[in-house]
Amino acid sequence: MVDTVGYGLIAIGAGIAVGITGLGAGLAERDVGAAAVGAITEDVSLFGKAMVLMVLPETIVIFGLVVAILAMVMISIPTA
Amino acid sequence: MSLPESMSRVVIVGNRSRLDEVIEAIYKLGVVHLIDYTNDSDEGFTIGAPLSYSSEASERLLKIRAAEKDLSIRPKKVKTQESYSDIEAKISSGEVENVESIVIGAVDERNKVAQKITELEAKKADLAVLSKLPLKLEDYDGYQSLAVFVGTVKDDCSAKVAAVANTEVFVSVDKKEVRTPIAVFVANAQKEEVSAILSEAGYVELNVPEGTGMPADAMSQTEADIAANEKSLEECNEKIAQLSEQYKSFIAASDDLLAERVRKGETPLRIATTDYSYVIDGWVPKADLQKLQDGIQEQFGDSVLVDVQEEERGRGLHEEEHAEPRFKTAPTKYNNGVYAKHYEYPVSLISTPKYQEIDPSFVISIFFPMFFGFMVGDLAYAIPFICLGAYGLRHAKSKDFRAIATVFFYGGIWAAIFGFFFFGEMLGMHFAGDYDEMTNITWEHLLGVNLPDWFESIMVYNAHHGTEHYGITKIGAATVGFLLKVSVFIGIVHILVSYLIGFLNVNRQHNFKEAMLEKGGWMFSVVGVTVLCYAMSQMLFSHKDLEGTLLYLLIAGVVILIAGVALCFPKEKVQAILDLPGIVGNILSYTRLAAIGMSKAGMALAFNYIAITILGGSGVVGIIFGALVFVVGHLMIWFLAIISAGLHGLRLQYVESMNKFFVGGGVEYAPLKTTSKHLVNSLNNSNIEKTEA
Repeated sequence: MVDTVGYGLIAIGAGIAVGITGLGAGLAERDVGAAAVGAITEDVSLFGKAMVLMVLPETIVIFGLVVAILAMVMISIPTA
Repeated sequence: MSLPESMSRVVIVGNRSRLDEVIEAIYKLGVVHLIDYTNDSDEGFTIGAPLSYSSEASERLLKIRAAEKDLSIRPKKVKTQESYSDIEAKISSGEVENVESIVIGAVDERNKVAQKITELEAKKADLAVLSKLPLKLEDYDGYQSLAVFVGTVKDDCSAKVAAVANTEVFVSVDKKEVRTPIAVFVANAQKEEVSAILSEAGYVELNVPEGTGMPADAMSQTEADIAANEKSLEECNEKIAQLSEQYKSFIAASDDLLAERVRKGETPLRIATTDYSYVIDGWVPKADLQKLQDGIQEQFGDSVLVDVQEEERGRGLHEEEHAEPRFKTAPTKYNNGVYAKHYEYPVSLISTPKYQEIDPSFVISIFFPMFFGFMVGDLAYAIPFICLGAYGLRHAKSKDFRAIATVFFYGGIWAAIFGFFFFGEMLGMHFAGDYDEMTNITWEHLLGVNLPDWFESIMVYNAHHGTEHYGITKIGAATVGFLLKVSVFIGIVHILVSYLIGFLNVNRQHNFKEAMLEKGGWMFSVVGVTVLCYAMSQMLFSHKDLEGTLLYLLIAGVVILIAGVALCFPKEKVQAILDLPGIVGNILSYTRLAAIGMSKAGMALAFNYIAITILGGSGVVGIIFGALVFVVGHLMIWFLAIISAGLHGLRLQYVESMNKFFVGGGVEYAPLKTTSKHLVNSLNNSNIEKTEA
């Protein structure tokens, strides 16, 4: 029973890791994205540069995902 | 590693009387990237005047473009090949003007008919209102002592109007209609009074069409007129479609020819001339220099001089600094093989490489498809990618679609290789291995077959906790760590390669010392951080004691790191230390390779589990529903793979790799040349052009 609770806590932790980092990345990309679309409307050749800036915050959520995966490994059940 | 092609700078000088022929010859050779002359560059020179045929050509081009618009012809879509001399002759004999007048005639006629239909529709609407009143059309006018109001009102005011002396009111009240038709005949003396009542009721006047008889009869006549006109409108449209079909080939070809002639005619505006001579400055790829010299020599003998100013522009930045402003920047001509050429587009999205730096297309061409394949990592998802990619490469014309097709095709091949040999997976299920209902459904078990040993043996073997797998399990507890490590190692290699290219760039542009300070230091820092992190992770996570090899590794890591920071410090100052966590971040950023693969495998596992559970359930409904979940689920994963694997793969190139070495801001090599799509033989036309001029 104790183990089960522990597993549950780990799973919640993993969920929080992805969730919060996802929010963080989303908040950051909201501003970058709006500015990027504005810039591209003015000059299409900026697309590449805008995309680079746009995907920069994405790393945060990847870190969250990795942490979640590592947490799930701790309980040796499949992560999905 | 591909540097842009070497460039030579030439100057072409000759007598101005033959300038048009020389321009023609330069276009024909198609190798000179013109250096624009600016008015105050040299004393005694002025910008040249457009060639004689230029203005006539631009006028005709305008006419052709107008005709294209009227006939809805899009030259790019027209597939035709016309002989240059034919089109040339037709244009000279005034065919453009001829086509213009025919097209304008046809379009005018159509517009007239369309206008007529609009008028008739308005008349019909008026008559529809009048037909509700019991009066003939001729009843509405021709009075001297009476004023007539005909129109519609919002509120029925007939009673009020009728109360005024000397009035006659006709009204047709219909509760369903918003507005009520009304006709009031009133003696001139009471006109103002009636007018006030009407306007209070929201009166809108109506123009009574000319004619006699009951409005209903006139209306049916008008309807017949409209039908007749609509028929002739259709005929007009047919005629225009016919004209479009008839002339599209000529129009597309002459658009090409005239646009080319306008470009040629305006070329003197970019070169320096005096009263009797001209000077054309330009860049030529070193490989084509001989071709240019021979070509000009052959046609003009000694009357035109091609003088080489710079045999080869070097890659050192000092050469650029010492050059005259307009000769500073040598253009970048990509120098890639058939394969790497496809990746010039993603580079150009960021910026054109400088002449002095290595073109990243080559690096991208190696790593991008590989990353894409690693993230997709499934044989079944790979196949549609390969097919779509092959189809796209064969048929797609636009740059964007070609770039996407390239990634699909080569990325798909990598996905198949990784998916089969490394992961041993198809649709998220292993081919062979120990079966587990929840975590490891295998094809062997699902289909109830026994795959031959040699088939299993070509996949990566992987055993743990007494279970055997062929291919690395993406989401098994035992393999997650391994996959993350692989991703990190790939990352370290990729980042080091990027710094190495940066090192080579700076070494070429400046010198070895500069390269060591600017990029070499960072390479040391990356290695130092990596070794240090490895040693620390062994200590912290694997709980190993700090002794023996581990201790030496830790010391080595610190030493290399300090050396790296020391090398960077003179250039980067505090940044050399502040950016160290950034290196860790960059390297860990590559864990997305494994993480995205895992997230896709996770979804596949869930869909497979659900689908197979339903399939095993109840009868036909179960089979249909299960199959539906299976197909829709995997399609969704496949679509997500395009976005996640494609975008993240590209991001790793742009952010983690190219940021380390790519500067960009180059000028793309754009030689003067003929580019007509719809003309054949356009290269042997110099004499024809001359007679026209």
